[in-house]
Parts: sequence; structure tokens; C-alpha cells
Amino acid sequence: MTQNGSGETQPPLLEVNDLKVEFDTYGGTVQAVRGVSFSIEGGQTLAIVGESGCGKSVTVQTLMGLVPMPPGRLKSGTATLRGENILGQTQIGGKDFRGSEIGMIFQDPMTSLNPTMTIGRQIAETLEVHRGWSRKKSLARAVELLEMARIPEAAQRAKQYPFEFSGGMLQRAMIAMAIACEPAILIADEPTTALDVTIQAQVLDLMQDLQRDRGTAIILITHDLGVVARMADEVAVMYAGQIVERGSVDDIFYRPAHPYTVGLRAAMPSNNPAAEHRLLPIEGSPPDLFSPPVGCAYAARCPHAMRVCNTHDPAPFAVGKGHFGKCWLHHERVPGGAQRIVSAIAGATTGDVVQPASANQGDAR
Amino acid sequence: MTQQQPIPDPAMFTDDAFEPLHGELRVQKLTRPSLSYWQDAWIRLKANKRAILSLYIVIGMLLFTILGPQVWRVNPAEQDLLQVSSAPGADRSAVLVAPYRPWTNIPPAPIKPGLKLVGQATTQKVQLIWAPIPGAADYRVYRDIIAPDRQAGIYGLPLGTTGSASDTYYEDLLDLRAGTTYYSVVAMNAEGKDTAKSETLKIKLIDGITASEAVDRGLLKPDAIPPLGTILQLPLHPAGTDYLGRDMLARLMQGAQVSLFIGIVAPLLYVLFGIGYGSIAGFLGGRVDQVMMRFADFVVALPFLLFMILFKIGFGIGPGESGITPLIISMTILLWPGTARLVRGQILQVREEAYVNAAQLLGARTGYLVWRHMIPNTMGVILVTLTFAIPTAIFTEAFLSFIGMGVAPPTASWGSMSNDGIKSMLVHPHELFFPALMISITVLAFNLLGDGLRDALDAKMRSRE
Amino acid sequence: MLLYAIKRLILGIITVWFIATATFLAMHAVPGDPLSGDKAMTAQIRQNLEKKYGLDKPIGEQYLIYLNNLAHGDLGISYTQKNREVNDIIRENFPISATLGIMAVVFAGIGGTLFGALTALYRNKWPDTVIMLAVILGISVPSFVFAAFSQLIIVKINTALGFSLLPVAGWGTVSHILVPSMVLGLGTMAYLTRLMRSSMLEIVSSDYIRTANAKGLAQTRIFTQHQIRNAILPLVTVLGPAIAAITTGSFVVELVFAIPGLGRYFVQAVQQLDYTVIMGTTVFFGAFLVLMVILVDLLYGFIDPRVRLN
Repeated sequence: MTQNGSGETQPPLLEVNDLKVEFDTYGGTVQAVRGVSFSIEGGQTLAIVGESGCGKSVTVQTLMGLVPMPPGRLKSGTATLRGENILGQTQIGGKDFRGSEIGMIFQDPMTSLNPTMTIGRQIAETLEVHRGWSRKKSLARAVELLEMARIPEAAQRAKQYPFEFSGGMLQRAMIAMAIACEPAILIADEPTTALDVTIQAQVLDLMQDLQRDRGTAIILITHDLGVVARMADEVAVMYAGQIVERGSVDDIFYRPAHPYTVGLRAAMPSNNPAAEHRLLPIEGSPPDLFSPPVGCAYAARCPHAMRVCNTHDPAPFAVGKGHFGKCWLHHERVPGGAQRIVSAIAGATTGDVVQPASANQGDAR
Repeated sequence: MTQQQPIPDPAMFTDDAFEPLHGELRVQKLTRPSLSYWQDAWIRLKANKRAILSLYIVIGMLLFTILGPQVWRVNPAEQDLLQVSSAPGADRSAVLVAPYRPWTNIPPAPIKPGLKLVGQATTQKVQLIWAPIPGAADYRVYRDIIAPDRQAGIYGLPLGTTGSASDTYYEDLLDLRAGTTYYSVVAMNAEGKDTAKSETLKIKLIDGITASEAVDRGLLKPDAIPPLGTILQLPLHPAGTDYLGRDMLARLMQGAQVSLFIGIVAPLLYVLFGIGYGSIAGFLGGRVDQVMMRFADFVVALPFLLFMILFKIGFGIGPGESGITPLIISMTILLWPGTARLVRGQILQVREEAYVNAAQLLGARTGYLVWRHMIPNTMGVILVTLTFAIPTAIFTEAFLSFIGMGVAPPTASWGSMSNDGIKSMLVHPHELFFPALMISITVLAFNLLGDGLRDALDAKMRSRE
Repeated sequence: MLLYAIKRLILGIITVWFIATATFLAMHAVPGDPLSGDKAMTAQIRQNLEKKYGLDKPIGEQYLIYLNNLAHGDLGISYTQKNREVNDIIRENFPISATLGIMAVVFAGIGGTLFGALTALYRNKWPDTVIMLAVILGISVPSFVFAAFSQLIIVKINTALGFSLLPVAGWGTVSHILVPSMVLGLGTMAYLTRLMRSSMLEIVSSDYIRTANAKGLAQTRIFTQHQIRNAILPLVTVLGPAIAAITTGSFVVELVFAIPGLGRYFVQAVQQLDYTVIMGTTVFFGAFLVLMVILVDLLYGFIDPRVRLN
């Protein structure tokens, strides 16, 4: 919640509450998203982290109205953009908010662009639709946007087709397309997963620069903690369709409040060759979302699991300012529980800690 | 997380709630049973109502072909000349008539104008007599199965003239068929032209059968002949008869044997050949593979139906041969490349798959690789190809038989029956309708079954859900 | 692109040679020889005829003569219609078949695209159900049945109206083309509809349609600008086989509707065992189809930028 000058509370830029999404398949109903809540303010970067299938993509795609329904089904929840509902609809006040208010880029740039339409046209199209510009004006702007996205010889490139671009260039073109109408929020769904490591940095830099110039809020979906450390202000860790921990990037890296966060950390390779570091996989596999467990979804893989974890789903416990952990270890009947979580880091990583962006941005570049 | 969910009341927890867990309690059981490839495919197929219905139709068709002739024991070649081109459900009654004798005792012409029938109108003979029409020099007699159009002067088939104005009688013996018939007598002028004066009579012809014919057909016993005029029931033809009076149902069954035999054996042969050719090319690879596949490309380029016809001519059909074997051989020669390409592609693809490499690295034997990976990944495609090949083969046979290049008469196939039926389609639609229906239903069933199988066996679709 | 076209053309010529050789071999596998059908032939006439058609020479030489003639575009003289060149027969009758075929392709192409797009747009609603039912019928019912039943319907309509709305058979006016070309194109149209539908549905769930949705484009715009164009591409690739299907389909349709096209002529030649006409028309049809496939492939290359620019 932000306070403006007059002391009135203004609704957050984007607020999502208790979002639940299910999919009907021939094998039964998959509970893909099970009560997700978060909010984001302008200029902020929120990273949603989790392994494949944890529901992070479904969450944002539901907000964008990209989940086909059926088989998808909205079970409950609200989502508001500046206080206006966007859930279950694609328009605010008769105008489509997608592309104009919220831009989105996807994991695989190679397949995410129309193969038989030039790049320039695909960018210009957004402007024609949302701004009502002429074809020519839109195309001219598209070239500028491509330049902004650091695509060399943008005027020629705009006339080319997606197959003539490399993966990294395509993703930058996608970003140019997503920000064409200067949206308040940019959702990036695993933007670097399909790219070479060397290209990844270019794309992330571009996103950060655009955010700095325009104050765009970024929702970054990723499973790469390196990307999180570099980009995020706030982090939400998702597991089995729920947010299990939410906090600032420092909280997540230095004061984790959930064993799963710790597990993710331990499974991440280090960029510090001096440190003696063994990658520790998280044993087992995520629960079956056809019939999620009654208790904590992570209990079966958790090294600290207690009897209660199998019988009762933990509530989010506040462990600091804006920092929540959904774990029974924070319960008053487990003295020193939080210490158990943190102590696990020390044991697993022997002092090697990834540099979060906010902690040491200069080095990260 | 602006909303805090209420933390459950601690009183509800048991004392040991916060004891750490060990061992067996920690494992979450997978709730879904794991299914083998074919089990899963079968479950999917069963869920597809159209495919299952088609499967029943295919089974029904096979029963019709194999068991049908055991149940309906009628010789498909036997001609029932009393019931030629009779539609299903047509009147089967026939009246017992005396043996034919020439018409000698002609009654005097009636005084009242109009056409009159003498005696009973049967398919043996129709005897007509009429009052003289004033001004007529001669009379021409017409017959039609639809009401004549007097304004246009259309009366149907001209049977003949009586020869003089005084002869006002006519006996029709020509190719009579049971059913409603219109007889018209038109007065002719001295120049031999029809005038507008005419008389029409609508009569219902019924089949006439003599006692000796009835005995021959087994309708009567020679020692128990009922009196003339008794109505007998002719043999039943549930699907009617064709233009030679042969039982359509029996012919459809015989045709089914030919059509389905070709439809199943030909694809089986060429798919098998294609599997052999494709796997050899795929396994050997390299130059052999290239040469083999280039040859296959050329065979594909041959216009299929044209070459079917050429090969059929090339094989030549001697007298007494049905033409089934040349048809199957021609199809095999021309159609194998499709399967060969497919199988080769599959084998190359599966060989390169990471999971096969992984299995090899884990020490899997060749036999295991073939059984566990190659077979499931190619069998599905092959089965689907086979299912789609059957309707194609049935269509091809029908097409060739239709243009007279398929099975040779008197062998019946659905295609040749359609060819026969189309000639009299306007008058006796059932002769075309039934064989066409059989072809359509069978092809439809195999197509839908193929669709269902493809959906059920497609491993890619499985992972998508 | 030009290099590709030349390469395709050379391969095409080899294919035609292969077709010609296969035709020659198939015809010479006939038991007896082409003249044995005519029983009332004296030994002298027979000898003269054999000499005239070169049948007295060894098969290798016959093959060379045949290829040489073929290379000069000479397809020989009809056996049953004396003094009629096969070339003349093709020249006279092929334009009729071509007119019918082009109409059928146009009809199938437009209908297939339109109905396929409709089914995808109204997926699982009644238009989809109705059209797909018709498509299944179109694929499962042989063309001669359609031909026959359409004739039956024309007769019924004409009878009911009391005047001839459409001709039942024959050739000459525009109204003669209408029904036969529709019947001829029906099977292909059904096939194209099915292909268009699956192609459309595949594209609906594709990543770039998701992107278009995320851009906030209106559904109609996505449908017209992004979906249809990409969905039509696979249709173009099957146009080659479709033309082949329509060409052979014309045999039946021309036969049933009594249209004096090359297809009907071919069937008659087959029934009369007129060997030169059979061989000539087969090679002609073969070459025609090979050419069509090459043209369609080049057309595809032109439409799809991925192929055009590579």
C-alpha cells in the first residue's frame, strides 16, 4: 500500500488476491494455482520463482486472459489494476488492457512471433490497435522501438521475418513489441530460459534499462535464482501452486523463511569458484496436483517435516516487514524453528552466497 | 500477502504434532496408477465414442461378410425372373395362372367408350379391348409406369398398332413387370399419325405364375396344386433384386467378401512390404538408404489410379478369373512407398532420440530397445496407417470396378454392383443405393476408427495434456 | 530459388521418363500382343500391322523408338480409331477436362478454406458439427455415388419445376459445368476442410497467437491477420496431390455426366484396349501431374517467406 500526499490510500498498481485456477483434464482436475496473492507497485520488479509446473506461468497467464477456459477454470480470487478488476475479462472501460497497460514477453521467442509477418508489422500492429495510429506512423515508431531494443540496422530489420532473426534478437524484438504502448507493467515469463547464457545478460540489461527510463513495473517469472538476484526487488517463491515465501530479495537470500527456498538455494550453482560448493538436489518430486496433500505440500521433501505438516496446511507467518514464510517452523510451539531453516544454508553452502542485485549491483554487472 | 489467513487454533494439534517425522510417513503416494502405452491407448480409444461405434460397425461388417451367407442361404447367382429389379418391400404376391395359350376367343368390342381389361392382368399377359373411337384409322397402344401426359401426347412405350380400325383389342406380352401400369390407346389417322383422341386405363399388374413354374421354384408341391387364381407368395428378397433378378442381399454379402478381402489383404501386403523396405533403408542408412528412398520417390510420382489400370491390363484377365489377384498385386506394387517412408523416418527418428541413447548408455540390450522403444513408437503409426489404408483400398476397388476395370463379372463386388446399379438408377434406385451404402458405411467406419486410433496412440498428444 | 526450380524441373523430367518406362513395360507385359484382340484378322494384315506399329522388332528397339517419339512429342496413332493421332485426341479433349478440373480445384479450395475456418471458429458448436459431419460423408462416399445422386436430384428438380433448370448430362454451356465440377471437387473439398480445421486449431494454440492475444488484438483481427494466413499454407502443399485426385476423379464424373473430356476418353480406350491411346494419355497425365506438383511447390515457396528467402 502506498500513501500519497493527501494521506489517502491509493490502490496498488496490481493486486492479486487468493487466485485459484483449475484445469479439467481427462485424468481429473488439476489444481494448478491454489490461492496466490501478491501486489506490485510502479518501478518495482517482482520475481516469481519456482520449479517447472509450480503454477507460476499459469498465474500470470490467467491475469492476461491467456488461459483457455475451458479446460481452465477460475475457481476464486480477485485481481485489480489500479483498483479496477481485470480477472475474467480483458478490457477496462471498453479498452483492452493487454498490450496497452500490461505488456508480456514469453519464454520461446522463436515460436512466439508470427512466422509469416514482418517484425515491423507485428510491432506496429499493437500501436495501430491501441493508439489508433496510421500504418505508416506505427511502422516508423516500430523502427524506433527496435533501435531502442538495440537492434542494429533497425529499419532493414523491421522488414524481415522472424526466421531471419537470432533468438536473442527476437527476444529483444519481443520486448520492443511489449513496451510499444508504454505499459505500466511488463510481465516476462521465463524471458531468458531459451537463450544462450551470453545473450541472457543482454536481454536482462535491456529490461532493466527500460524500467529505469520509464518506471515500468516488471513481473519476472523464472526458475533461475541468478536472474532473481540480478533483477528483483521483491521475490515470491512458489511451490505446488502456492506462494510459500514472499519477501525482499535480501530476505530471500539471507533470511529465508521456508525450507523450500533453502533447497532452491542449495541446488543452485555458484559463480564463486573459490568456494567449495556441492550442488544439493531437492530429493523427491513435487506433489500430484490432481489431489494435493492435506497438509503442507512440501512436507514430503522437507528435511524439517513434523507430524503437523502432514495434517495441516501452514498459514503464512510474518517473519519480518513484508516478509512471510508459509511454514509450521515459525509456529510458537517450535522454539528456534526459524533458526533451523537458516542454519541449513550455512551447512549446505559453506558461506558462499549469491550477490543479490540490491546488495551489490556494481559487481553483478 | 496482505491478507493473513487465521492460524489454526493450537488446541486442535495433538501433543506430538510438532515432533519431527521420520521414514515411511514422509512419502506421498502417487494417486494415479501408471499405465503401459497400449493400456493408455485403449483407455483413450474407449473414451472416443465415435471410434468405438466404428469398431462395432467394422465388427458387424465382418460378421455380415463371414456369417451372413450362413444365415441367408440364397445363391447370389440365381436369377428370379419373376422379380427382376424389384425394390425391397415390393409386393411379393403372385397369382396362379393357367399356362399361356394364344388369345382366340376375343369378346365383342364394348359399346361404352373406354378401355377395358379382359381377364386378369398378370405379368403373363394383359388383354385389352375398347370401343371403337370415331374417326380412327388404326390404333396404337402405349404402356407407361407413370400417368401419361395427354396434352403433350406422351404415353410411354409404344407397344404396337392393331393394324386396322376394326381391331379394337390388344394383347401385351412384352416384358411385363408387376406394379401400377398405364395403358393408352391412341387413335391414328389415315396417315399413320397419332391424333389427340385417346383412352387410358390404369391397372395394377400382379405377378402371374403357372403351376409348373411354381413347382420348379419349390413354391408348390406337385401333388397339391391349388386352384387357379390362388395367390402365392414369391421368395423374399429383403434388399430387393438386381436387373437380372438376383437377390441383392446375397450379392451384397458376396460383394462384401470381395471388397473387404481386397480392402484388408492389399493394405496388409503393401504395409508389410513397406515396413520391410523402410526398415532396411532406415537401418542400413547411408548410400543404400538414399538410393532406396529415391526409387520410392519415383514410385510415388506414378499417377496411382492410371497405373492401377495399366497394371490391371498388363496382368490380363483370362476367362473365369475374378481379377482380384491382379488388383491386389497392382495395389501392392504402387502403394508401398508411403509406409516405407514413414517407417524409415520413424526408425531414423527413434534411433536419434535422446531416450534411446540414454537407454543404450544405461546398458539396455538391443532386444529391449526394440521392444520397449522402437515398437511402441512405430507400431502406433503403422497401425494408424493400416487403418487408413483399408478405406483407400476399398475406394480404389470400387472406383476401378465402377469404370469396369476392377473385378470381372459375374464376381460381385460393391464397386461392380454400383456400376450395374447406376444404369437403372432413375427407375430402380435401390440397386445403386445398397452397394453405395455399404461402401460408404465401411469406409466411414474405418476412417473414424483410424482417427480414434491416431488420437489414442499419439504419444505427443499424451504428454501435452 | 531459380536453382531450386531448375533442379525440380530436371527431377521432374526424370520422373516423366520413369513413368513412360513403367507404362511401356506394363503394356508389354500383356499376354499376347495388342493386335490379338481382333480375331477377324488374316495373317497378312496382321503382319502388315505389326510392321506398321513396329511390333515385329525386338522389345529393346521398340522401347528406343517409343522414347524417341515421346521426346519429339509424338504419342502415336490410335489402334481403334484409324488415322487419329493420340496428340489430336489430347488436344481436343483435354481442354474440356482442364476446364472441369480448374473449376473443381477452385470450388474445393474456396470451400475447403471457408468451411475449415468456420469449423475452427465455431469449434464444438453446431456449425462445426454440421460441417464435420458433411466432411466425413464427403470423404466416405465414393464420387460416382455423388455423381449419380446429383443426377437423380437434378432430374427430380427438373420434373418438379416442369422445365429443365440444369442439364442432367452433356457439355457445352456454363450450366453444364456447374454440377459436375462441384461433384468432382467435393472429395477434395472435404479433405481440405479437415486439413484447414486441424491447421487452424493447431495455430489457435500456438505461441504466436498467445502473443497476439497478449498484445490485446481483437479476436477478429487475430483471426484474419494471424490465423487464416498461416493456416492456409499447409493447404497449398497438398494442392499437388489434390490436383492428382481431381484428375483421376474426372474419369468417373465425365463418364457419369457424359462429358467428352480426356478422362472419359481414357476409360473408353481402356475398355476397348486401345493401347497407344492408353499409353499416350497415361504419359500425358503423368507429365501433367508432375508439372503441377512442381508448380505448386514453387507457388508455396513464393507464399511462405521462410521458403522464399532461403
